[in-house]
Amino acid sequence: MIKNKTYNRKKIVTAFFLFLVIFVALMGRLLYLMVFSSDYYMEKAKQLHERERSIKAARGRIIDANGTVIADNKTVCTISVIHSQIREPDRIVEVLSKELELSEEYVRKRVEKYSSIERIKSNVDKEKGDAIRAYNLAGVKVDEDYKRYYPYDSLASKVLGFTGGDNQGIIGLEVRYEDYLKGQEGTILTVTDARGIEIDEAGEERVEPVPGNDLYISLDMNIQSYATQLAKQTMETKEAERVSILVMNPQNGEIMAMADVPEFDLNNPYELPEGTDTGDLSQEKKQELLNAMWRNGCISDTYEPGSTFKVITAAAGLEEGVVTVDDRFSCPGYIMVEDCRIRCHKTSGHGAENFVEGTMNSCNPVFITVGLRLGVDNYYKYFKQFGLLEKTGVDLPGEAGTIMHKKEDMKAVELATVSFGQSFQITPIQLAATVSSIINGGRRVTPHFAVMTADREGNQMKSFTYPVTKSIVSSETSATMRMILEQVVAAGSGKNGYVEGARVGGKTATSQTLPRGSGRYIASFVGFAPADNPKVLALVIIHNPQGVYYGGQVAAPVVRQLFENILPYLGEMDYN
Amino acid sequence: MRTREESFFDYTLLFDVLFLLAFGLVILYSTSSYIANLEQNGDSAYYLKKQLGATVLGMIAMMVVANIPYHFWERFAALGYFVSVVLILLVLTPLGIEKNGARRWLNVMGVSLQPAEVAKLAMILFLASLVCKMGKSIRTRKGFLIMLAAPMPICALVYGVTKNLSSAIIILGISVLMVFVSSPDYKKFILIGLAGIAGTALVVFLIVNAANSESLSFRGGRILAWLDPEAYADSKGFQTLQALYAIGSGGIWGKGLGKSMQKLGFLPEAQNDMIFSIICEELGLFGAAAVILLFLLMIWRFMVIANNAPDLFGAMLVVGVMGHIAIQVILNIAVVTNTIPNTGISLPFISYGGSSVLFLLTEMGIVLSVGKGIRLKDL
Repeated sequence: MIKNKTYNRKKIVTAFFLFLVIFVALMGRLLYLMVFSSDYYMEKAKQLHERERSIKAARGRIIDANGTVIADNKTVCTISVIHSQIREPDRIVEVLSKELELSEEYVRKRVEKYSSIERIKSNVDKEKGDAIRAYNLAGVKVDEDYKRYYPYDSLASKVLGFTGGDNQGIIGLEVRYEDYLKGQEGTILTVTDARGIEIDEAGEERVEPVPGNDLYISLDMNIQSYATQLAKQTMETKEAERVSILVMNPQNGEIMAMADVPEFDLNNPYELPEGTDTGDLSQEKKQELLNAMWRNGCISDTYEPGSTFKVITAAAGLEEGVVTVDDRFSCPGYIMVEDCRIRCHKTSGHGAENFVEGTMNSCNPVFITVGLRLGVDNYYKYFKQFGLLEKTGVDLPGEAGTIMHKKEDMKAVELATVSFGQSFQITPIQLAATVSSIINGGRRVTPHFAVMTADREGNQMKSFTYPVTKSIVSSETSATMRMILEQVVAAGSGKNGYVEGARVGGKTATSQTLPRGSGRYIASFVGFAPADNPKVLALVIIHNPQGVYYGGQVAAPVVRQLFENILPYLGEMDYN
Repeated sequence: MRTREESFFDYTLLFDVLFLLAFGLVILYSTSSYIANLEQNGDSAYYLKKQLGATVLGMIAMMVVANIPYHFWERFAALGYFVSVVLILLVLTPLGIEKNGARRWLNVMGVSLQPAEVAKLAMILFLASLVCKMGKSIRTRKGFLIMLAAPMPICALVYGVTKNLSSAIIILGISVLMVFVSSPDYKKFILIGLAGIAGTALVVFLIVNAANSESLSFRGGRILAWLDPEAYADSKGFQTLQALYAIGSGGIWGKGLGKSMQKLGFLPEAQNDMIFSIICEELGLFGAAAVILLFLLMIWRFMVIANNAPDLFGAMLVVGVMGHIAIQVILNIAVVTNTIPNTGISLPFISYGGSSVLFLLTEMGIVLSVGKGIRLKDL
């Protein structure tokens, strides 16, 4: 028997310590992995184990000036299948294709697709969703969801806008106030095994969605509804192409109504107007038609304002002092500007008249004279001062800018035509905002809808303020303008806008659309009441009316009817 | 004759082994029950039952071997070597079983047996007896070379025939340790160690440089996945990365017994080579350190027994077993923590695997038998 030698023992001890060192090193490695890298790997593992499903947040409602909800949510269902939990694929295909009115192949393809979760159909009515849930099919998931719903269908469609498949705003206020309305999506986190099957005992982690804020706007659905009705009526009786009506508070810029008929159904925004042949339309062409249907003419289209713009020329002239109410003019039916002969609409001429009478007659030579007295520099100065070179800043997407001569290109003839509202283009909202500012004492207001946002209980979250530019005209000029414009309605070209028992001011316009001689006209009227302290301003624009096309005869009565209805409603009617 | 009172029995080692076995079965059940439930028609104790059977068998073998004087085995040293060679070659015959794409098992009367496990035990026995036979000639250059050359045929066969690199490395490691202990020299081993480190570094360097060429072999890919498992998350790095997720999410105290997520099918071979990462996930750094300490305790006992063994043969047997268990534990933990490239090595007494636990317990029996030879007055 060979004995264990000392060196053998030493070597065994050496081996033990060698192993000990390696074990300690491995423990160090474990310490690094399990303490210092723990958060990193834990997060990675969590991502691997958790399946995330999002819960849509309820979108904030849109509420009008009276507290009426005009954009709401309704519950709809999303039907999906979870491949790994399906037990009876044939029955699922049968039931889903029957209930959802889908082709069997369409459903089968999705049921048999190997994926963790496959959506079959979304935006399914709640009743239908409940019916499918009642079948109790393993692997079929019915998730409740919100869908935008507009109780007034087409009313104020171009203002409100609508939302898309992910509940995101597409046009109008829905997109402008997306950040306030959309809220924050929530999530359901479930823990699954490697096959994607949820582990019940692990429970689920919910991050509740935060509903969006309600948007309170100045729009008054009663006024909107009446304005829309009038616009429709006018469009029919005058066989017009389009009728826009804008009603706003000239004191603060709040818009009470904005109708631009024809409007569209907000609950079916992708449906083209009846009678449109969609059969052989290309996708692009169809989208073009949809865009045209959604287009809000009050802010996105420009036009030559015509005689309504004389309000601006008059205000500039009075403010600059180149004309007074008592200045005398003589109209022979035309005026020579350099070597150009510009006609008055009354070819026989208005004869002798003072400035007020000239305005009441809407006499072109009078305003050309005022414009020429101002000169290009001054006219341009006021054009700019009144805010006409910039956009109004209305809180709707897609506002068009002013199309105006460059100052250096503006000669006497151009100045003359601009003075009575031709040869340049502005948007209806720009005209309404500018006239409002001239008659409200000279404060340039920003036209707008949004007043505030609030949570579901009505607690105010954010109140919106809009820029106001003070003293674009003096309060004296403003008062003079109110007086003159009241005369226009009381005894001048705008007398069809007169409302018994109320003081109404206003100005008519009839402009021929380009190209001249096409026989297409735009008849318009801008009116406000009460004339001494305006609380409401209305602009009616009728595109291409058939038959009589004069603003005074076509547009002014529309404003009269509107005022007859809304002045008592607003408490601005004097019953004596 | 020694009286009963004078004889020694290493109860510390015995209880350490029993504790590891019991702990291993608990962890095995925790790790495998979810998958077993799915794969074996609801029998969540499938793996537990099979492992329990092998463990009972192994414990019987251990007690029997512990009561046989270890010199009894000396006469089988050459035979064991020969049998190992034959068994390894048998894998190539229809008796061989292929699992997971590797042909490493033999079907012996319905029980699968891994010849590499037999070879480990046979090698320990063979080298221990060889050391004794060579006596002082082991100090010569020739003796040293003979000692080094003896295990090579087996290593080559295990690697060449069963494509089992890890077992070949373990057998080589055990042999080197035994040669180290038997020889009084240090310098040669330091040189061997340095050469080994340099060679490994060179191989890694070459593979990293060849990373973009398509000719990279199976093992080359494993080395790249080792260096950056997240870049190979979908292929070679997948298992390693899943193991790291399990280990990292354990933290200091673990998620609690039974609460592992990675065992739910995310981590392949969770009940087998990767079981240590589930221990880490469920019991945390605390549990993992406790397991390592249990193995350290075992190795310490081996050292004590080897140093007090009645003769060199007994000491060398214990050194062999010590090498076997220590190397296997170290390599297993190093693999699951991605300290070395991924290769299949099971964790002694804990990983699922019948022949492994059977042979390990037989080796424990030998160690206990050597321990019994210690006379108390020698201590």
